[in-house]
Amino acid sequence: METIEITLTVNGKERTLAVSPNDTLLEVVRDYLDLTGSKEGCGEGVCGSCTVLMDGHPVRACLTLALEADGSAVTTVEGLAEGETLSPLQQSFIDHGAVQCGFCTPGMLMSATALLDENPSPDRQKVRQALSGNICRCTGYAKIVDAVEHAARPEPGCPDCHARDTGGNHD
Amino acid sequence: MTEYTLIGTRMPRVDSRAKVMGKARYTADLKLPGMLVGKILRSPHAHARILSIDTSEALALPGVKAVVTGADTEGVKWGVFAYTRDQQFIQTEKVRYIGDEVAGVAAVDEKTALAALDLIHVEYEELPAVFDLMSAMTTDAEPIHAEFPNNINIHVNIDTGSVDENFANAYYIREDTFTAPEESYFHGEPYAVAARFDHDDCLEIWMPNGGPHMKSKPLSNAFKIPLHKIKVRKITIGGAFGGRSEICPADFICALLAKKTGHPVKIVFTREENTIGTRQGHAMITTHKTGVDKEGRVLARETTCYMDGGAYSSTGPIATSVPFLSMEQAYRMGSVRYNGYRIYTNKPIRGMIRVHGRGFACGLDTQLDMIAEHLGIDPVEMRLRNSRQPGEFTSTGSQVWSCAMDETIKKAAAAAGWSEKFGKLPPFHGIGIGTNSVQTGFPMGIRGGSQSFIKFNEDGEATVMSGVVDNGQGNENMLVQIAAEELGLLPEDIHLVSADTETTSSDPGSYSQVSTFVGGQAVKNAAANCRKKLFDVAAKILKTDPETLTAKNRMIYVTDDPQKSVSIKKTVRVALLNFTSVNAEGGYWPKVDMKREWVSNPYGQMCEAFSFGTTIIEVKVDPDTGRVTVLNAVACQDVGKALNPLVLEGQFEGSVAMGGQGGMLTEYHDWREGRCLNPTMLEYKVPLACDMPEIIDIIVESVDPRGPYGAKEAGMSIAMSAAQAYAGAVSNAIGVYMDSFPLTPDKIVAAIREKRQAGK
Repeated sequence: METIEITLTVNGKERTLAVSPNDTLLEVVRDYLDLTGSKEGCGEGVCGSCTVLMDGHPVRACLTLALEADGSAVTTVEGLAEGETLSPLQQSFIDHGAVQCGFCTPGMLMSATALLDENPSPDRQKVRQALSGNICRCTGYAKIVDAVEHAARPEPGCPDCHARDTGGNHD
Repeated sequence: MTEYTLIGTRMPRVDSRAKVMGKARYTADLKLPGMLVGKILRSPHAHARILSIDTSEALALPGVKAVVTGADTEGVKWGVFAYTRDQQFIQTEKVRYIGDEVAGVAAVDEKTALAALDLIHVEYEELPAVFDLMSAMTTDAEPIHAEFPNNINIHVNIDTGSVDENFANAYYIREDTFTAPEESYFHGEPYAVAARFDHDDCLEIWMPNGGPHMKSKPLSNAFKIPLHKIKVRKITIGGAFGGRSEICPADFICALLAKKTGHPVKIVFTREENTIGTRQGHAMITTHKTGVDKEGRVLARETTCYMDGGAYSSTGPIATSVPFLSMEQAYRMGSVRYNGYRIYTNKPIRGMIRVHGRGFACGLDTQLDMIAEHLGIDPVEMRLRNSRQPGEFTSTGSQVWSCAMDETIKKAAAAAGWSEKFGKLPPFHGIGIGTNSVQTGFPMGIRGGSQSFIKFNEDGEATVMSGVVDNGQGNENMLVQIAAEELGLLPEDIHLVSADTETTSSDPGSYSQVSTFVGGQAVKNAAANCRKKLFDVAAKILKTDPETLTAKNRMIYVTDDPQKSVSIKKTVRVALLNFTSVNAEGGYWPKVDMKREWVSNPYGQMCEAFSFGTTIIEVKVDPDTGRVTVLNAVACQDVGKALNPLVLEGQFEGSVAMGGQGGMLTEYHDWREGRCLNPTMLEYKVPLACDMPEIIDIIVESVDPRGPYGAKEAGMSIAMSAAQAYAGAVSNAIGVYMDSFPLTPDKIVAAIREKRQAGK
């Protein structure tokens, strides 16, 4: 099949790639760029495990054609940390026990990052709504909602918000 | 009370950093040099004889490296028990469900592999198929397996005696039947397997699993090669829920393709394949006849359960038993007769979901509520009058050493405001309670125990080896937490080598909820042995007796004089200089009755510990649409000892979601002639964040005398009790006891309508 050249900025790095017209953005990040943090859970835009940010907006990478991403800035889960320093949201996921099997975690983090970029102080209802395009089978969502809600706004009564300060965190 | 450094703390999991950074590799993420793409050809027929298979056209397609069929196999049949070996990994004579494995292809890319599947020509002779378990038993058609007349795969009979006499003495008797269809796991991660043969002809294989040693043995059987040549490697696993324990035919097909091509091969399931080609939960029809005295105490019960097992068996005997066992553990029964039948049908294979069978779908709690109402007893009181008590024996003869069932009922009821709410809520607003009990382990013969090895490195850090696997529930963290606690190290000083069959000893994995009780205890014992060796060396350095020493925070010190201390690192180095071993092993084998057998002798000590759980749910029902809104959830379980409340709460919350919210309201399969109509995430409705209620978690600690630090199974009794709490709440809201699960809006609206018409 004929390939077409596209240029996109992935996690701050400009990449020029020759892709097939039917390649998805998920195939580009996973297969071409070896960024396997983004997962394929359903391949039909339901589970949200492949969520990445395209120009700051969360998109289903499995339903987005690579060609649509031409010229865009794409952020994947690998782009959230600054080197070894985690984003406050990533740290909050760890501290609140929001990660179990971890398969949905990258997509959850990307949807939640987009939410917090838009609304740094969302209430629980907003968090639940924003994450309702991401399926998790392990957690019942409770700790994920806690982690997102408390990431930007630590809760005084939450035993897990200040675990790091009190030495309770052994990560 | 012993003071622990790490045990009992809300320790964030050691595996979560790699997961939030996207660094954790799952099977589908693996890329090996020269790797080929594998695909499986599946049967389009529910029941058919294979007359011929022509692979020549597929093999001629450029890019195709190998095609395998049943002719390439040794014809070995798999099943966990000698009497359940009914499944070939690639069928040679017959296909028995839509999705049964017929051939495998390895090609240079996915497109070529898929094209090759279309070029394999299989000639079938269709046979009459059975999809309904009741008609499967009475059909005149050819049985699905020739060895099993009437398609009855397993019959479990348990009879404690005195059942008929006790019914004769009962004050009130009622008989009810409850039905529940199949359900699926919908793990986050679709199944995937990668395999290669190394330079020593050893099979290296990666796949989600519930225990690597549970995978290596069937592969060893199928290839007829020794166990040491099967190296199941550790890989991050995206959820199991019981659905990764069994060997998957894809494991074998992938390995066979790797052998034939001499290249690594990877098979990644589509979401549809994950639904059809792994296992599902059994559909069940359960009848309880229960006789009680005037106070509501159960004198006699007769339970008959028919389970749709799908096309193959394997763990069938366990599935047929466990729904009953969960009930007999949770509730005392004066006497009981149980008949469980697992029936073959031409549908996908059923296995364990959460636990074996689906005790929560049997309706026992609903019937207790019915009896309670008839006698004018509050449902909470009804449970307290029948609940399991510590020290007692179950009906089949297991002693229950630790049990805080009553405490879970009382604490959950208090937190939910039961006494203020039950019977006092507005119309279409209801509250319900479910209770259940889950085994911490099954008798698993030679695979029931775990051994751990610990070695110290010269920098004072320790490598811990254990066969325990982490499916997402936090087992790795549990092992690290225990090892660090016992050795006096920090979690980051522990290097865990786990879930790899080459380097670890036989272990039950996460099977039957024993990871902490058995695998954790093995690590605890190994660490204690290792610490003893360290203390012998440190005692000489500190000129004291080893008994006077404590290890904590990388230091060994005299307990009564902490200033007298030496670092663990220095102790290790001194040991090495003196040619003294500071490595150790330790193991744990549960003391169960090895003569107990699922079918031939279902009596005796089942396992060493049982967990007990209560869930209470409050709902509002829209009478016009049947829509259920869940207002509150309380999840309360006796876990023995909470090693890590942060992890435990996550288990409780996930259990409410899958066991209750999904399992009782939205999750079920639709079928047409053996074809699953909703195998995708779009059509199979799992709970979303916006569906879930806030959940109050209550941990109860009975401190089991045999568990590590007193711990036993944690979380599964919530998964098993949540469904009946949901059912009770909806029934309470609409004033109709629901006997057909799940409680979908159409059933709820019909029940309300029927009640209104009956009232007119």
